[in-house]
Amino acid sequence: MSKKKMLSVVLSAAIAAGAMAVSVPVYADDVEEITWMFWDDLEATEDLISQGYKEVVDRFNKEYEGKYHVTPITTNLEEYDGKLNALIAAGQTPDVYICNPGPNMDVYVEAGAAADLTDILENQETEWYESFTDGIFERLTYDGKIMAVPTNYAAACTYYNTEIFEEVGVEVPTTYDELLEVCQKIKDAGYDPISCSGGTAWCLSMIAGYLCDRQGVDLNAIADHSANWTDEVCIEAGKKLQELAQYFQPTAAGDSNDQAVANFYNGEAAMLVQGSWVIAQINGNKPEFEEKCGVFQFPGIEGANDPNRMIVKTDNLLMSSKTEHQDACIAFMKMFTDETAQKYTAEVGGKFPVVKDLEIDYDAAPAQLKYVDDIMATATGTFGFYNESLDSVEAGDCFDNAMVDLFLGNQTPEEAFQTVQTFYEDNVWE
Amino acid sequence: MDKILRNKKAICIFIAPSLIMFVLVLIIPMVQMFYYSLCDYAALTPPNFIGLDNYKKLFFNDSTFRIALKNSIFFMIFSGVTQQIFGLLLAVLLTNIPRGRNVFKNIFYLPCVLSSAALGLLWAFMFNPKIGINNLLAKMGIEGPLWLMESTGFIVLPMWVIAFVALWQYLGQNMMLYMAQITGISRDIYEAASIDGASKVKAFRYITLPLIKPMVVTSLSLNCIGSLKFFDLVYNMTQGGPSHRTEVLATQLYAEGFNYFKYGYASAISVILLVMCLIVTLLVKKVIKVETYEG
Repeated sequence: MSKKKMLSVVLSAAIAAGAMAVSVPVYADDVEEITWMFWDDLEATEDLISQGYKEVVDRFNKEYEGKYHVTPITTNLEEYDGKLNALIAAGQTPDVYICNPGPNMDVYVEAGAAADLTDILENQETEWYESFTDGIFERLTYDGKIMAVPTNYAAACTYYNTEIFEEVGVEVPTTYDELLEVCQKIKDAGYDPISCSGGTAWCLSMIAGYLCDRQGVDLNAIADHSANWTDEVCIEAGKKLQELAQYFQPTAAGDSNDQAVANFYNGEAAMLVQGSWVIAQINGNKPEFEEKCGVFQFPGIEGANDPNRMIVKTDNLLMSSKTEHQDACIAFMKMFTDETAQKYTAEVGGKFPVVKDLEIDYDAAPAQLKYVDDIMATATGTFGFYNESLDSVEAGDCFDNAMVDLFLGNQTPEEAFQTVQTFYEDNVWE
Repeated sequence: MDKILRNKKAICIFIAPSLIMFVLVLIIPMVQMFYYSLCDYAALTPPNFIGLDNYKKLFFNDSTFRIALKNSIFFMIFSGVTQQIFGLLLAVLLTNIPRGRNVFKNIFYLPCVLSSAALGLLWAFMFNPKIGINNLLAKMGIEGPLWLMESTGFIVLPMWVIAFVALWQYLGQNMMLYMAQITGISRDIYEAASIDGASKVKAFRYITLPLIKPMVVTSLSLNCIGSLKFFDLVYNMTQGGPSHRTEVLATQLYAEGFNYFKYGYASAISVILLVMCLIVTLLVKKVIKVETYEG
């Protein structure tokens, strides 16, 4: 055989071997294979909540070996919705998928891409259903039908560096005016008062959402057009966002969410307004920061709305309406809310469990969780993240972008809210 | 062979496989796309015919589309001009250097074979306010701009940044095309010109340029079409932000279709993109006259 022929035989064999090596694993016929789509890389992540989810997947595959098997489909957070939407549109909806509450879930429910779980929960899995915290299904119920199961919930708070506060000699602010004074003193001491990301629009939008709510913006009234985005309360909230933005780190406009969070736990900034999922991110990346990380609720505006309302959201699992492996999906979803997973959620991840009668060892849990828990105990009401509470995903993006324009100085508060108003006139109220 | 090629049945049999594929993967989807562009279509529910409403909204009521259109046209002009000029210059230089031609050719061509997604992320890091270029500038006492977040001006700074990165990435491709064409020109012509006293500049003006015109048409057409459809660097570096300032037609199309489930609206953008590509190709062919020279 000539050298060339030998070489081609060897290369062909190598290609064939390679193809076999990377081929999709084949499971026995009687194993029910399901897919689960998630918004983080389960192998590379340093986020403790995501690591907890990976543990659930591993535990499920081990416990149900030979019966069920789940394969995660992972992507990064920014591309998650687009990729999930593409799969759903192509008729390849994953058997189980994670989803934020709000307009995205509305779309999936209205399009029939999510299964109705009411009968399963109320009649077939009564014990499981009764284990959930009261009222937790409220935002997941459509026309009386429960369409998703929550795995945890988070509240948006202000995290602060107690060492910087002590060094500068300032107290936790309870009003917006006090917050401005504290920011000025911290700035004078050479620190960035607040770390925020303008590059990841929803981070800025979270502060804007709090300012709007504290000022008295009523989203329900706007939804039914008994109020407008151009009302004085909105404009005032916009002015306050501009005012507060002068205390953001100098690179806030271009920083990503991860950079803004790192800016905080690296001790460059004194405060960070974030959802409580950030506890897992902070403690996962810099465990020694935990002891100097305090938490307070976003300050109220004197003479305006209730200052004890909190932004909260749940992470939710939806089951495909087209799945052929309902039992496997339910078994998988149950595992996210069993005692092991829920204790991990609180004690390691620092997010709130969604089941009641769960004993949390606060000594084992991140210190910040107790602080957030104390704040939640005094909360008088909750509302969703603004970009997830408006009438559509596009409306949420429009609000986010208007706030970015306001922050960058491209628009005045009047112009920014006029942009949202125009969007509503053209797309929502028409 | 000639006998077979005169047989109509044989011709049909030979053409059929590619014709079927062409119709299946190109013509039918294009017709479908055009139909969807006339519908309110969310992909998960049946399309609802609404006539030209999507187009009316795009042209008269969508400020993001106007930005995307402006950016796409800017990107096409910038890429068309810079990539052709610098690509040709590099090709002429490299074909005239006696040594090291292959080394430089590979160096300039290397970015072309790398993944745009990886390059997008790489350059996003380079232009990040905390690391990369600004970090270097800060060490020299210069405060660098927000390369990917500045949002003032008719064409915003991030759009220029993306255009320069694209120039860096695709320059090698144009250079290769021109090199292939230039090396195909007979050396005899240059020798004859040299004997007649023509300088190198004159030889380039009167021999090289006319003889590479067919490649100019091809390269420029590919360049313009590629620029109009450009997506990956923009998506990976800015995702159309801040506040849609770096949106191009392809990223808006993606957002409307995959983020907002507005497949009908996204299809209307696709139709406009297709028409623009056709117009640009026809214009290039019309404007640049190619003479045929006997070999």
